[in-house]
Amino acid sequence: MENHDILVRMDALETRCPKLGHQVPFGYCRKESGALPCSKALVCWSHRLPVELVLRKFLGDEAYEAVFNGTPKSRIQVLLEAIEAAKERCGTASDRP
Amino acid sequence: MEQIKVFLDESEMPRQWYNIQADLPTPLRPPLHPGTGQPIKAEDLAPVFPMNLIEQEVSTERWISIPEPVLEKYALWRPTPLYRARGLEKALGTPAKIFYKNEGVSPPGSHKPNTAVAQAYYNKVFGIKRLSTETGAGQWGSALSMACQMFGLQCRVFMVKVSYNQKPYRRSMMETWGAECIPSPSDRTQTGRKILAEHPDSPGSLGIAISEAIEDAVGDPHARYSLGSVLNHVLLHQTIIGLEAQKQMEKLGLYPDVVMGCAGGGSNFAGLCLPFVRDKIHGRNVTIVAAEPTSCPTLTKGPFRYDFGDTAMTTPLLAMHTLGHDFVPAPIHAGGLRYHGMAPIVSHLLEEKLIEARAFDQVETFTAGVQWARAEGFVPAPETNHAIAAVVQEALRAKEEGKEKVILFNWSGHGYVDMSAYDAFLSGKLTRYELPEEEIRRALAATDAFPKP
Repeated sequence: MENHDILVRMDALETRCPKLGHQVPFGYCRKESGALPCSKALVCWSHRLPVELVLRKFLGDEAYEAVFNGTPKSRIQVLLEAIEAAKERCGTASDRP
Repeated sequence: MEQIKVFLDESEMPRQWYNIQADLPTPLRPPLHPGTGQPIKAEDLAPVFPMNLIEQEVSTERWISIPEPVLEKYALWRPTPLYRARGLEKALGTPAKIFYKNEGVSPPGSHKPNTAVAQAYYNKVFGIKRLSTETGAGQWGSALSMACQMFGLQCRVFMVKVSYNQKPYRRSMMETWGAECIPSPSDRTQTGRKILAEHPDSPGSLGIAISEAIEDAVGDPHARYSLGSVLNHVLLHQTIIGLEAQKQMEKLGLYPDVVMGCAGGGSNFAGLCLPFVRDKIHGRNVTIVAAEPTSCPTLTKGPFRYDFGDTAMTTPLLAMHTLGHDFVPAPIHAGGLRYHGMAPIVSHLLEEKLIEARAFDQVETFTAGVQWARAEGFVPAPETNHAIAAVVQEALRAKEEGKEKVILFNWSGHGYVDMSAYDAFLSGKLTRYELPEEEIRRALAATDAFPKP
């Protein structure tokens, strides 16, 4: 129970999210991408938590490496990928002005 | 009484935006298409942006005329005043002269409308009826909502659900200006429906909101998507800030030694700094600093200094004391800044050594913001506090050196819709460390059986 309380307290800790522009709890950062953490979680939390230790524990080494040691995507890459995905979902709009 | 404000008459407002691509020592490398690996073409962006903005995105013309209807809307709050921060100078006991452009005087309270108004206009003349975008805390969403209203466009804003619930007044602002503000993930898009099916309680993320906004635009031939930072045309529109500032400094007979701005996506930093970067390229001696957020471990250690050696910005930051041993940051520590959306132009300027970047911890930035509010009256936006922290540091350095430096920075917006962030700071929620590591290790040991994703 004591251990559980510490994890609950840890998830409730807040920091300012540079992507959203307001405070978010660690529990949000830990699951920002569905079941996976936000790719900025290490940057944002290293000064407050042994975040690498925590996330490796929750994710396992393989998932951790996939999230944090891959090449990060730039905003423009994200944008272009979203355009391609949307075109596939909606069909290419050829009647656009 | 000493003068503290410098105004420009409306007739003195710049009539052109400045495009730094004309002056870059080496050209900007185009982003590569994720599918083909080739440089992106106009048609890759055409599903989401009108061609007139795509032309600006790739333009290398030095000066681009500001259309008269855009100037008319700008005139509601522009030219913005240049202030001298005498209160802060006195509080710091610095010989430095500190000046700031007050972009908080715009209707939504930040620099964002400088591009929102321009983008709404260009979409309007292209025949677009509706704009779609994403927003986090809502600064961009509210700016675009206002701009769309000005030009008779519909506006749909996908607001990250966690922000939607936490920032009701930004949502109210958007709706007041006539926009439709939708919590993301939503049932309006296939993207949103899929996520809700898998995670009904999903609090959303910026990535999801971007995907929804883009899908929404791509699925409607009369709609387009709008982005408030990062892209070249966005930075272009923001240069009116720096161009005005140059005229105002000239009226005072001064030229800044140091120009500073906070940098998230890079648009407000670029807005003030790009005209000064041009001067630097042409031989002016001026230091230009982007102030960024990061997890700087101690106030006494001072800010990180990035010196990226490549466009990918994979150079590690200085080591951070985190786990009680030498912590070597993973590449994400540098690259993560890029994910958040550092503009390619800003990254390029770092690479060219035309600007430098310094990073500040959130506690340091809020401390600077509160110090500012107590000395100058205005409450800054939390993002603006990064620039203020950099200014304080520079002014104190000037004090140590006994130099009468001239510091200019961009006061990118007010914080009156962000008081919950100040609440968090003032109530101690943003302290540096709260849980002993040993306790956490012990608690984690009990999670061995947890399923892994």
